[in-house]
Amino acid sequence: MLFMQPAAIPMIVLIIVLSGLTSAAAEPAACPGSTTLSLSEQRFADELWAKVARQQCFVCHQPGGDAEDTRLVLRDPRVTTGDARVAAHRHNLAAFSALASITTEEGPLLLLKATGGLEHGGGEVLSPDSAAAEVVAAFVERQTDPLAESGEEASVRPSLFAGVAMLSDQALLRRATLSLAGRLPTAAERSAVAEGHLDAIPALLDAVMQEEAFYTRLREGFNDIFLTQGVDGNPDQTVLSYEHFEKTRGWYQRHDLSHIADEKERRQAGYKLANEYRAALLDEPMRLIDDIVRHDRPFTEIITGDYIMVSPYSARGYGVFKDLEDAFADPSDPFEYLPVRLPALTGRSPKENQESATGFYPHAGLLSTFQYLSRYPTTETNRNRLRARMYYLHFLGVDILELASRGSDAAAATAAYEIPTMQAAECVVCHKTLDPVAGLFQDYWRFDANFSIYGRRHEGWFDDMFPAGFEGTPLPEDQRWRALQWLGEQTAADPRFARTMAGHAYYLLTGRHPMLPPNDLDDPFADARYRSWQAMQCEVDTIADRFRAADFSFKQLLKDWIISDFYRADGLTAAMSAERLAELEEIGVVRLLSPEQLERKIEAIFGKRWGRLSEQTAMLYGGIDSKEVTERATSPSGAMGAIQRTMANDVACKNVALDFSRPPTERLLFPAIEPTVLPGVAPQSDEQICHTIAHLHQRILGRDDAESSAEVQQTFALFASVVRDAAAQEHIEKEEAWHCRQGLEAPVPDPHYTVRAWRAVVTYLLRQPEFLYE
Amino acid sequence: MSSLTGSRRRFLATCGAAGLGLAVPVMADPEAARASEDDLPAYGGPFYLVFNAAGGWDTTLLMDPKGSEGINRLYREGDILTQGNHTFAPTAAHKEGGLSNEDFYAEFGKELLTFNGLDYSVNNHSPCSRYMATGKLDSLAYPTFAALVAACQGPSCPLSFLTFGNYSATGNLVAMSRVPYLPSLQRIANADAIEGNLRAPYHDDFALEAIERAIQHRHDSRIAGPLLPRSAQAESMLYAAQTNSKALSRITPHVPKEIPKQRLAQQVEIALASFAAGVCVSANLSIGQFDSHANNDRDQMKLIPELLEGIAYALHRAEDLHLRDQLVVIMQSEMGRTPHYNKGDGKDHWSIGSAMFLGPGIHGNRVLGATDGEQFAHRLIPATLANAPDDGIRIRPEHLHQALRQLAGIADHPFSLRFPLGISAGEELPTFWNPTSSAENSGS
Repeated sequence: MLFMQPAAIPMIVLIIVLSGLTSAAAEPAACPGSTTLSLSEQRFADELWAKVARQQCFVCHQPGGDAEDTRLVLRDPRVTTGDARVAAHRHNLAAFSALASITTEEGPLLLLKATGGLEHGGGEVLSPDSAAAEVVAAFVERQTDPLAESGEEASVRPSLFAGVAMLSDQALLRRATLSLAGRLPTAAERSAVAEGHLDAIPALLDAVMQEEAFYTRLREGFNDIFLTQGVDGNPDQTVLSYEHFEKTRGWYQRHDLSHIADEKERRQAGYKLANEYRAALLDEPMRLIDDIVRHDRPFTEIITGDYIMVSPYSARGYGVFKDLEDAFADPSDPFEYLPVRLPALTGRSPKENQESATGFYPHAGLLSTFQYLSRYPTTETNRNRLRARMYYLHFLGVDILELASRGSDAAAATAAYEIPTMQAAECVVCHKTLDPVAGLFQDYWRFDANFSIYGRRHEGWFDDMFPAGFEGTPLPEDQRWRALQWLGEQTAADPRFARTMAGHAYYLLTGRHPMLPPNDLDDPFADARYRSWQAMQCEVDTIADRFRAADFSFKQLLKDWIISDFYRADGLTAAMSAERLAELEEIGVVRLLSPEQLERKIEAIFGKRWGRLSEQTAMLYGGIDSKEVTERATSPSGAMGAIQRTMANDVACKNVALDFSRPPTERLLFPAIEPTVLPGVAPQSDEQICHTIAHLHQRILGRDDAESSAEVQQTFALFASVVRDAAAQEHIEKEEAWHCRQGLEAPVPDPHYTVRAWRAVVTYLLRQPEFLYE
Repeated sequence: MSSLTGSRRRFLATCGAAGLGLAVPVMADPEAARASEDDLPAYGGPFYLVFNAAGGWDTTLLMDPKGSEGINRLYREGDILTQGNHTFAPTAAHKEGGLSNEDFYAEFGKELLTFNGLDYSVNNHSPCSRYMATGKLDSLAYPTFAALVAACQGPSCPLSFLTFGNYSATGNLVAMSRVPYLPSLQRIANADAIEGNLRAPYHDDFALEAIERAIQHRHDSRIAGPLLPRSAQAESMLYAAQTNSKALSRITPHVPKEIPKQRLAQQVEIALASFAAGVCVSANLSIGQFDSHANNDRDQMKLIPELLEGIAYALHRAEDLHLRDQLVVIMQSEMGRTPHYNKGDGKDHWSIGSAMFLGPGIHGNRVLGATDGEQFAHRLIPATLANAPDDGIRIRPEHLHQALRQLAGIADHPFSLRFPLGISAGEELPTFWNPTSSAENSGS
């Protein structure tokens, strides 16, 4: 890491962070904490807590909540682990049990309160005949009737994955190498798995995660989450502010290109320079993640790392290039990055100087990067709340606004209170959590796009907001100058951070976030969905625990998910009941490949990309621009179906005759057959065709189909029918279509239409779900 | 509401027991989304355009004018204009570009239905957007109205539900289509021809037919076997997407040669071309930046006229394309703005707002609901929509969505029943679209 000097002392300290990669294989583990809960405690955790209290009661009935002065004050098991979580469940059970034992003239107190009776401060939280009220009633009954409680025995349910077929080890290897590195497994990797089975996979993944392609995918995947590529405007102006980088941010405009004689070429070179500079700036946050994972440093550094990543180009923008020039392997490479600590910001006038006890900018991983702060800007009235909201979502997995998903009367509250966000219960629910974190961003107060990101509010921070802090802990005054670093430290120690990162790893691998708890208890399959959700929570907790134990190694997260049942589930061994299907609704990767992933897969299989899934076509194919469109399409629309057809037609067109034009030893698709082999002529020729089809199934679809299988026979039927139908035509060209015979390495005549029949086969395979989905 | 939840449970349980599969959360009948290869009928309407003023419009500068100085600074009580039964804010002298309220109401007032005093109950963008788009505040699973009506009325349309932004969840009922640029329509129109040139097909006809047969055969055999629910859904949606996409060839004649400059007009052209080709049911259109926390009047006077200009453009072009009598237009925003200015001359979030509607089945020249002088919503009697401060109810997005479902004739569709809005019969708005309707014939 390079520490830029706060003053003009010409010293650079390069710190090489070395840490060993933990590569322990995953072992089956019970859901953390579950083994120490008694049957009745577990039932409480699974029923009343999970289905009702967690969402409906805890919001107010917690320390600092609106109902903190009542008899029911609950603890949040999700912010704890191990014994502390067990203790939280026991505390909550005891609190509810105490209330459940109270019966009034109108009925059980707990049920009456929940349904709005007895002047419940929160009003009617549950409808009297709702399924949620039934859960409360059942709890009360169990608590007040010891026989009912003791007479029940633990029902033994089958595993969530009973009857679910898992991917073969070889197919898992293929899925993982394609997903992580955009390539097919090597022969050596396949041999290792044939010998070592599932146990061999983690070590192979360690090697895959050394490949450059893995880091491309890592940055792409994390941008889907943080969206920092979506900074508005030219980043040399929005990321690097006028006040603090006025003299350096426009370096490219003064860069000497006089060695290029031709004016047009010189102009083009200038454009290229500017574009690469901007791209380098935008990529810095994802390069931070790249660097942490590449060197297997604790992933907590995404929020605690006291450095940023700069390239030779972006370093010029910050004005630190001269000090770094010798540290770069290639100072002319716009995309070589080094970790650097910037000096504290110096403004055009002293009042714009950044306060710093060390003289350095107080970096806090992604959180304090100008890109993150620009991507999630504030306004005068927003007061950094957007940033606080995104912080909670990105780093603790909490969607603050979901706390506000209960009908209220915001207009009345706004009008009735002088400071609704601090006084009106329906506002306080969110703002008590949100505003202290917003206050931690207070030194990044500027919101005019033309001015700096850093800057303190002249009047001091707002006093009509809950003061700066984190979850009840106020920001110490001496930490103010490094408030985001302080927040990063709190965050790294919070169990929700590890779970959230486990969720991010799952998102990278599957394209979706871990499932949310079902919120519709009236759904007849609500119990089934709860079981599924709880199983996934258990897996998330287990993997998060291992992540922590492995010193927050992100690679460990990926490896653990890849060998998990959630990633390997691939089919059913038999038909199942509607309830079981509801339970399995979210199981299986089944991810529609993104435009980028699809291009990489085409390259892995055919040796080159299609090259057309970019820009407008990528957007049409469900891609994102990180600004307006921020979520990838998960199901294909008709427009995407049309692109799939075009892609299948065109990729087959460009590759089939080309493959035949090469020597057999260099072919990817047809190494063991020639176009002269016709179907239905002799058993040997049919066998040769089936052998080739099985090869294509393996290469394109990842299927290990026997040559005698129905799948191969079905494809054979397509090949044979096209050849047969061609023979029946009055006039057929004796060579491939002009468009499909361009760039051949040798002429490929097609007198029997077999080349075009193979093209039909490849087209057919490219339109299959096994190719288009992961 | 409570009795409904119980009845819903019984209904869904009955469906499940009867094998209808309504309660299974993957597409209830994904195969329904797949048209036969030889039968890709053009969808003929009605079509739905949902215009979103993303960020929260200032209703007092449009359909719910307030003349007091504290609420707005652009006009006084005596400046408020009328057109038929509508009252609206004068904006001709204040607008920056676009269409003034005066011109908009003069042309469309007779057809326009306005609802004022819509109670969103909360005032944050994310939940409010979701609530206004779906009619459900506390669920991430519900489809937007545009997605729901597309799934119910045109499941086999290749671009059944188009979206250009704003909250666009589909409830897994239908695929969401994003076609961001007009030229994109040309790119997808003829997928089996090289560069879209019909005279240069990739495959000879007999070969392409063999490919399609083989794909169908494999799909049918795979879908018949036991599959994980996600796999079954993916298989079906993929097959439907590819098969139904052939109908996109019908779009070509409807793609205009010139691309309009205005951002809403561009969205409108894509949607109308898709409507005209019979490949689309609904489109979710959006322009943002209404969130005028600073300089409210300046920003709103750019954006409201731009929005109205876009709506007028849609209606004019629909006329040209002979789609006007089948076009339902919904104009909405996720919230209103406060009845006072902040220190930055902006207005913050306000949980009371308005919506406007226009199209077949909608009796225009009407203003329903109201807000008082401080911009609080009046309570209404659902059956008559009369003001009733004591025994009326707050009209919230779920009430409008139930009415929209009824207008579209999909209130009893299995997809709608899977996503109930919790509106009891007594809370429905039978006279919302037609003042002469009654509860008995409000008809789902």
